[in-house]
Amino acid sequence: MSGAAVIVALRVAATPDAAFTVFTRDIGTWWRSHPLFQLSRRGDGALRFDPAGPGGRLVTRFDDGEEWEIGAVRHWLPGERLAFAWRLPSFRDDQTTEVDVRFEAVGGETRVTVEHRGWETIPQKHVARHGFELMLFQRRLGEFWRGLLKGMSGVV
Amino acid sequence: MLGALADPKRRRAIELLGERPRSAGELAGALGLAPPAMSRHLRTLKQGGLVEDGHPAFDARVRIYRLKDGATAELKQWLAETEALWSHQLASFKAHVEGGP
Repeated sequence: MSGAAVIVALRVAATPDAAFTVFTRDIGTWWRSHPLFQLSRRGDGALRFDPAGPGGRLVTRFDDGEEWEIGAVRHWLPGERLAFAWRLPSFRDDQTTEVDVRFEAVGGETRVTVEHRGWETIPQKHVARHGFELMLFQRRLGEFWRGLLKGMSGVV
Repeated sequence: MLGALADPKRRRAIELLGERPRSAGELAGALGLAPPAMSRHLRTLKQGGLVEDGHPAFDARVRIYRLKDGATAELKQWLAETEALWSHQLASFKAHVEGGP
């Protein structure tokens, strides 16, 4: 495993325990499909941890009733850490990634850090040079969202 | 191997090399890095298969770095999309945890 990862963090006004509980229990509520970053062509579906707790799985249920297992829970430490495998319908068989969510008390709030690892499994073949321009566009989108997050944090 | 992209200076170097090939000195100047630090970053990028070096035809003493063809596009698109996805979802989570019961 290389160190390549996406890391996104922000603070929420809640205790680590409460943040962990809401993150896991309400993921079907707070998870909102974004038109540019859908989990599948059918959208994101309704996510849930099933069963909630160690040994559970992150599952999503699409409108047509079909379910997809995104991945097995690897760590379930309430108020501290949640880790699970992450595999989408669009992934090829040899692709799998891992999401690690940390909850840390910062003053009276909680810093929630999402680290998404495992990018070395993404194949790098068949990519034309012109793809690079697209990539730069995508990075700017990422920066756009990061800026939006910063703005939101300032409001609270 | 893709830890190469974990560092913001290296990501910026990749962007600059995406514009055109450059020497190590040019990159160091643009990134505000000392030459030894720049060398370390370039070594990491080379080992990660993201950049390659060579000599321009007009001067064998000069070493020029350039992006390896197609080495990173798909991966970096992945990284960017995933970062955007989680930024979006965490913002939504924040609104929910702070606004809801």
